[in-house]
Amino acid sequence: MSVRRHPFAAGVSLLVLLFLWLPLIGVAVNSFNQQTIMAGWGGFTTHWYGLALHDQNVRTGLETTLYIAIASALLSLAIAVSGALWWRRASPKARAVYDGLIYARIILPEVVSATALFFLFLKIHFTLGLTAIVIGHTVWNSAYAAIIVQARMAGLDPALEEAAADLGATPWRTFRRVTFAALLPAIIAAGLLAFTFSFDDVVTSVFLQGASNTPLPVVILGMIRFRITPEINAIGLLVMLFTVTLMSVAVLIYATAGSLGRSGRRGNMLDIYRGR
Amino acid sequence: MTDSAVDINGVEKRFGDLVAVRNLDLRIERGEFFSIIGPSGCGKTTTLRMIAGFEEPTAGRISVGGRDMTGVRPYRRPVNTVFQSYALFPHLDVFENVAFGLREAKVAKAEVRTRVDEAVALVQLQGRERARPRQLSGGQQQRVALARALVNRPEVLLLDEPLGALDLKLRTDMQTQLKDLQRSVGVTFCYVTHDQGEAFSMSDRVAVMNHGLLEQVGTPEEIYHRPASSFVADFVGTANRFAGRVESVQADRYSVAIDGVGLRTAGGPAGLTAGTPVLVLVRPENLQLDGVSDEGRADLDARVVDTAFLGAERTVRLQSPRLGELTATARGSGRAPDPESRVRLSWSDDDAWLIPAAGPDAG
Amino acid sequence: MDGDQGGLTIERVTAPPPAAPRGRRIDPSRYARLALLAPTLAITLVCFVVPLALIALYSFGSVNQVDFNVFFGWTTGNYRAFTSSLYLHTLARSVVLSVSTTLACAVIGFTFAYFISRQSPRAQRLLLVAVIVPFWTSFIVRTYSWVDLLQNLGPIDRFARALGLHGHIDILYTQYSIGIGILYSYLPLMILPIYVSLERIDPALFDAAEDLGATPWRQFRRVVLPMAVPGLIAGVIIVGVPALGEYVIPEVLGGGKTLMAGNILADQFLQTGNYPFGSALAVSIMVVLMVLLFLLRRAQPAADPQ
Repeated sequence: MSVRRHPFAAGVSLLVLLFLWLPLIGVAVNSFNQQTIMAGWGGFTTHWYGLALHDQNVRTGLETTLYIAIASALLSLAIAVSGALWWRRASPKARAVYDGLIYARIILPEVVSATALFFLFLKIHFTLGLTAIVIGHTVWNSAYAAIIVQARMAGLDPALEEAAADLGATPWRTFRRVTFAALLPAIIAAGLLAFTFSFDDVVTSVFLQGASNTPLPVVILGMIRFRITPEINAIGLLVMLFTVTLMSVAVLIYATAGSLGRSGRRGNMLDIYRGR
Repeated sequence: MTDSAVDINGVEKRFGDLVAVRNLDLRIERGEFFSIIGPSGCGKTTTLRMIAGFEEPTAGRISVGGRDMTGVRPYRRPVNTVFQSYALFPHLDVFENVAFGLREAKVAKAEVRTRVDEAVALVQLQGRERARPRQLSGGQQQRVALARALVNRPEVLLLDEPLGALDLKLRTDMQTQLKDLQRSVGVTFCYVTHDQGEAFSMSDRVAVMNHGLLEQVGTPEEIYHRPASSFVADFVGTANRFAGRVESVQADRYSVAIDGVGLRTAGGPAGLTAGTPVLVLVRPENLQLDGVSDEGRADLDARVVDTAFLGAERTVRLQSPRLGELTATARGSGRAPDPESRVRLSWSDDDAWLIPAAGPDAG
Repeated sequence: MDGDQGGLTIERVTAPPPAAPRGRRIDPSRYARLALLAPTLAITLVCFVVPLALIALYSFGSVNQVDFNVFFGWTTGNYRAFTSSLYLHTLARSVVLSVSTTLACAVIGFTFAYFISRQSPRAQRLLLVAVIVPFWTSFIVRTYSWVDLLQNLGPIDRFARALGLHGHIDILYTQYSIGIGILYSYLPLMILPIYVSLERIDPALFDAAEDLGATPWRQFRRVVLPMAVPGLIAGVIIVGVPALGEYVIPEVLGGGKTLMAGNILADQFLQTGNYPFGSALAVSIMVVLMVLLFLLRRAQPAADPQ
């Protein structure tokens, strides 16, 4: 019915869906393609996966990336949760400044914040490497995590905590059983998102890696620059499946988390769409 | 035919298997304040939406101002609606909300200005022209919605529970204002509500619907005092009912044998024949309570169960050995009858009304 | 308390226990609150504000071309260097590319978002997932996937040849492939906020507009379009700003030949070591961003959300 009523929009939408999905399907198909130059179908093979999984650069890259992503996710959560707890009791003016800085951190093109941080580290003789990358990712990740945690915090009815106190819970028990419990879905979702962003990041890592091991996305970038082989498609498909799984889990946790009392509302898939 | 504002002929509306409105015939006269009342799901809003053109009847025909509206899209109909949620455009200020329809009708700029000013003045919102809807109170938003519809000078103004979202005090004020407004502009109003008090206080005529069927059309007095069915009697107030049987017909009145009471007379719809099982209705305020019953007709004795003070009046719940549980209202200023005390009941035959006992809505 | 035994007993019975300091019990103390803010403060000031201030400062400095030592000299030479033919071309391309891809995103994104918002709730959910999932896949792989598609003898080239188009499609490693890459990566970021603002429109508003004489096209013009403006603005910000500073997409789809401002900026820091010039570029991107935000914020009240 709607298709008939909006033929133009329907046509455009079909093209958009093709546009969004064809490249990914291409990667998936080519990762099983025997033909090396990928100019046609040369038969089915899993050869490239074997090659990818045994590539030493890829394996070290993966290890490095996992280390960075986990460290940055944890650090970001600590910053975001403590910030959200502060935010709750802050004056409107202080909140505005805090929110403004969070949005600034998110919206500034990554290449600018990464070069600035690179320059600072250079000036203060801070050795570039994994720690530098973790810090660089955390600037962005903690801002994003803060938004997610804060959104849920804002929906938390203070009456719930008053009820807990009224029922005899000490402040610490109240925090654990009510506040933290209510924030938990947002914390998990934010952690997973931070992890995924870190796992996927190229720009900050390029600037801050120094002489350390190269994270996986930068390894891939290098491979693309060097020569395109179907091996990249195999790595690409695996990486895509991994990130899609993580993001889906994050969204599911966030979206299915219950409401938070009076002013609360259910989470929504759209609350945590991704901005780079 | 030419005089009616809205003419609904044999209209039926189905949504899949659900019949929302069945076999509806209704005529709304020019310049009258007409209300459609009924419980939720009775088809009143569907009827209104069919007049507005948001729904097309599955069968039957609707005319507005003598013109057949079949297949005419809402934006071509000479009617305007005040929506239950007001549906004010949040991105437009009060002036532009009110001017919306005029701009669609390509009315000249200067005329838009004067007509919007008039409409805004009519609903007493001068000075708020540049406010956004969300900056207004519920009552003010309601008045903007009213002005936005009236400014187009529709042949019929459709109002879908427009006071539903307001609190009680404001609602009562708005009822008076709406009635005055309708008198002064002379536009036909078709008002849908589930609140019979609201409909009675404003309307010239009222239609009562239930389960998609029209139960009765009449003036508020007719509906209240001479209900056509047990459903109508209950929907517009409380009714004591006594089972009985028509004994004989005398001119426009009936002689009726009431179980446990005896022979009385009562008014009723034409065409009932002797022997028809009926219910005799007596409104609580028509039930007289007399102090103590020391003698006489034991069958009209009752025991006071409970009283409730409501201010102007007082409700008395009674238990009668023969007539079962009854409700009476008494003036609030008198002394309340003591619970468990015995009273004597009576009513004037003029205040009794018959409805046929058998029927889909009986009981 | 009179000290006498009986009085004390009465006192204990009648007087309420000392009122718990309610406010203090729930509110952490001042210092505790500052401690909560400290991590955020540290990362924001040390790793964001200070570095940006630093490059703002250095953008007015100059560099010794021999030993690469930076010294201050309050010169605007770094900004004037933009106009040299070496960079002007790339900077102009950056602006043109980011503006045109943002516009294309807005038009296509609006059409698609509008289409989604008119579907049944079930279909809406399905379509949203179809938009979001590609977006969740690895950024680098997503970008790279276009190399496969656009390369010589790749699927698109073959399709064009099969259609008998004159010559063949050879746009890989040009500004067109960069444009496609940006459009591809950022389109979902445009669709989602527009969809959100469209989905918020109370359906009764369509009835109201229709009731007031608006034809379907006029309903679209006077209700849908103005109410989508907040979403459009949000989309333009989150697409246009990163697009202007894009680094990876030109790197992959420009093949190292066709570059944008982000790549020049990166080169100044990673390769040529001309930090003051690089800083000037970074500051300029920030200034453009701030102007854009300011203008869009000014546009906002006209199209107030909710």
